[in-house]
Amino acid sequence: MDARLRRVNKEIADCKNDKTSNIRIDLIDSSPFHLKGSFPGPEDTPYQGGHFEVDIVIPESYPFQPVKMKFITKVYHPNVSSASGAICLDILKDAWSPVLTLKSTLISLQSLLCSPEPNDPQDAEVAKHYTTSKHSFDETARYWTKMYAQAPGAGVTKEDTVAAAGLEKAHVDQFEALGFPRAKVVDVLRRLNYRGANVAQITEDRVVEELLK
Amino acid sequence: MSSDYEFSDDDVDNVFDDEDIEMQDDDSDGDDGGDMDDFKVAPKTTRKAWEVQFDSLTQASIEKLMEKDVEHIRGILGVDESKAGLLLRHNLWNKERLIEQYMDNPDKTLIAAGAAMPEPEPPRPSRRPSRKPKASASPKSDTFVCSICFDDAPDITPLSLDCGHAACSGCWSAYITSKIRDEAEHACRCMAEGCGLVASDEFVRSAVDEDTYVRFEELLVRHFVACMPHLKFCPYPSCTNTVSCPGAASKTSLTTVVPIVSCGARGLASTSSGSMTQSQELTRQVTGKEHKFCFGCIIDSDHRPVVCGVALLWLKKCRDDSETANWIKSNTKECSKCMSTIEKNGGCNHMTCKKCKHEFCWVCMGPWSEHGTAWYSCNRYDEKGGVDARDSQSKSRASLERYLHYYNRWANHEQSAKLALDLFAKTEKKMEEMQITSALTWIEVQFMKKAVEEVDKCRMTLKWTYAMAYYLAKGNQKDLFEDNQRDLERAVEDLSELLESPIEPENIPTLRQKVTDKTVYVQKRNSIVLEDTAEGFLEGRWAWNATVEGFEDPVPQDP
Ligand SMILES: [Zn+2]
Ligand SMILES: [Zn+2]
Ligand SMILES: [Zn+2]
Ligand SMILES: [Zn+2]
Ligand SMILES: [Zn+2]
Ligand SMILES: [Zn+2]
Repeated sequence: MDARLRRVNKEIADCKNDKTSNIRIDLIDSSPFHLKGSFPGPEDTPYQGGHFEVDIVIPESYPFQPVKMKFITKVYHPNVSSASGAICLDILKDAWSPVLTLKSTLISLQSLLCSPEPNDPQDAEVAKHYTTSKHSFDETARYWTKMYAQAPGAGVTKEDTVAAAGLEKAHVDQFEALGFPRAKVVDVLRRLNYRGANVAQITEDRVVEELLK
Repeated sequence: MSSDYEFSDDDVDNVFDDEDIEMQDDDSDGDDGGDMDDFKVAPKTTRKAWEVQFDSLTQASIEKLMEKDVEHIRGILGVDESKAGLLLRHNLWNKERLIEQYMDNPDKTLIAAGAAMPEPEPPRPSRRPSRKPKASASPKSDTFVCSICFDDAPDITPLSLDCGHAACSGCWSAYITSKIRDEAEHACRCMAEGCGLVASDEFVRSAVDEDTYVRFEELLVRHFVACMPHLKFCPYPSCTNTVSCPGAASKTSLTTVVPIVSCGARGLASTSSGSMTQSQELTRQVTGKEHKFCFGCIIDSDHRPVVCGVALLWLKKCRDDSETANWIKSNTKECSKCMSTIEKNGGCNHMTCKKCKHEFCWVCMGPWSEHGTAWYSCNRYDEKGGVDARDSQSKSRASLERYLHYYNRWANHEQSAKLALDLFAKTEKKMEEMQITSALTWIEVQFMKKAVEEVDKCRMTLKWTYAMAYYLAKGNQKDLFEDNQRDLERAVEDLSELLESPIEPENIPTLRQKVTDKTVYVQKRNSIVLEDTAEGFLEGRWAWNATVEGFEDPVPQDP
């Protein structure tokens, strides 16, 4: 049998038989080389309670070249692209070793959620948010977990763009009152990282200037 | 290339004292016309002002240099050949720094290079340096399960590096092959997570097939060459030669020389010697394009007379402005008189409309009668228009027109040079005709081919003179430069036109004389442009109207 197929089949089977871990690997269609991984958000983090799904593509030269993974679930995290779900993690690149498995890689993703690396960001805007105001960042990450990762939470039924962008409603209202469209205000304030201590650093004129562009 | 690599003079001496280096054909120009008495070119006794000193080295001679370094390190550090190689590669072949680091902390240096394990190796009966992949028999029983592919067939061979992290031979083979082929990586570390041991060359050789090992050896040579500022790998596809050019090893040298070099080979490398007959091989060597490239930058063709910094600036400008310039690049234009579409199919700029017989200049679209034999000022941009440009709109229009003037001429020479291939074919046909219609022998009709080659070469020079002229600061020097440029351009167009004229049997002797004379003249004009420009760089005579790396800031140009 093809070595890659044998290895992937065994990895899928091992994962199924392992009742202690909470990592799951499922087939998406009939191919064993395109899979879906999932795991619960780690406890004591803003991701707690969420259910995170990962798209897995096994390349031709697996396990000698790394597996390709990206988040299907939207995640608010410095090392995950908020738009595409792309992940910045060394073992998915040059630190990959053929002894690593799909399960061990998914566990690494789970622990990446516990310990972000804002100095090696995938999403620069999210990373800025993380470094300037950890408290506000946590709130936004928690909101995303509730909104997109099916975490049980009261009152989240319709997407709130202000909370999803990690902004304060009062700030958005303030600039919207000047006559700018709300979506544009959210976009500009998010780009300027108009959060926490940073708010004092950014003059109102600067924001308006951006809004007029 | 690593910038922190410190290059010592000793290295240069080592390279050039090495008697074993196989020198390639040292005729850097490629064509010597030795058997053509028509061309009395001064013998190449001294290097011309626009040429740099360089040597071509084969892969085998680079490997010899590497072996010499390995031997040197082996002797000084007392390690085996395999370890010495791994240490050198990891330290980018900087012997001094390696020796210093090793003396300071040998274990740390070996571990970093993947030549030793962090912890003391488990006791073994003998501590022979193991250079062969050893089959580590499974300690308990004969049922070995490969931890990578989960194969447990009884006939699989477990292999490991000195660390003992075993996998089946199939997995090792697939892993190392993937490293070499997919990642172009020569340092294959152990597959176990966190194990930094690097597979020895012997191990690699035993794990992969012949083709992959050849690729591995090439990667090692490429890595060595990339570590040496005075060496550069030939950029032509599937060529494995290296050029050594110490005169262009530093960045500062690139403001005074244009290091155009050649690896000595021509055409495409023959993949297997058996597939070509001897005469085919000969044809390839003679007619194939010479592997000429710039040692100082990424341009893989001859960009003399202009220095790398200006050449790259120009290419960037052309890329940025490509949209504006696209319409000019196009191969077809309309006749300025009857508007019928005209296709350029030769190298000559003297166009004659097939429909209305209107004669005009392809470059400026002006009537050819105004150019006559004088080809007056088609090369020089008339800056007068810029003086009237007061408001910003007409200013930017003027600057665009100025750019297009130079771009137009640059692109035209490039296009004409591309058409030279057709001209070659046509010339071959003419040469055959001549042998039939006249008493001339094969050797005696070679003047046509020589002339075509010369035109091709000079168009390359002309092309880059327009890049240079675009950035030259206004003044006396620029005027003199453009005078030389105009004289060369006129000579090239004259010869080009002559080559496309029809052949009448009774005119052949006259034609031969004319072509030969004009070829010699073109050669002379080309030498003047190249020499004057090269000397100007050495004297620091050229000033620019833009910031060029390594040069003084531009003098402000009056509006
Ligand atoms: Zn295996
Ligand atoms: Zn190992
Ligand atoms: Zn070459
Ligand atoms: Zn160059
Ligand atoms: Zn016409
Ligand atoms: Zn003209």
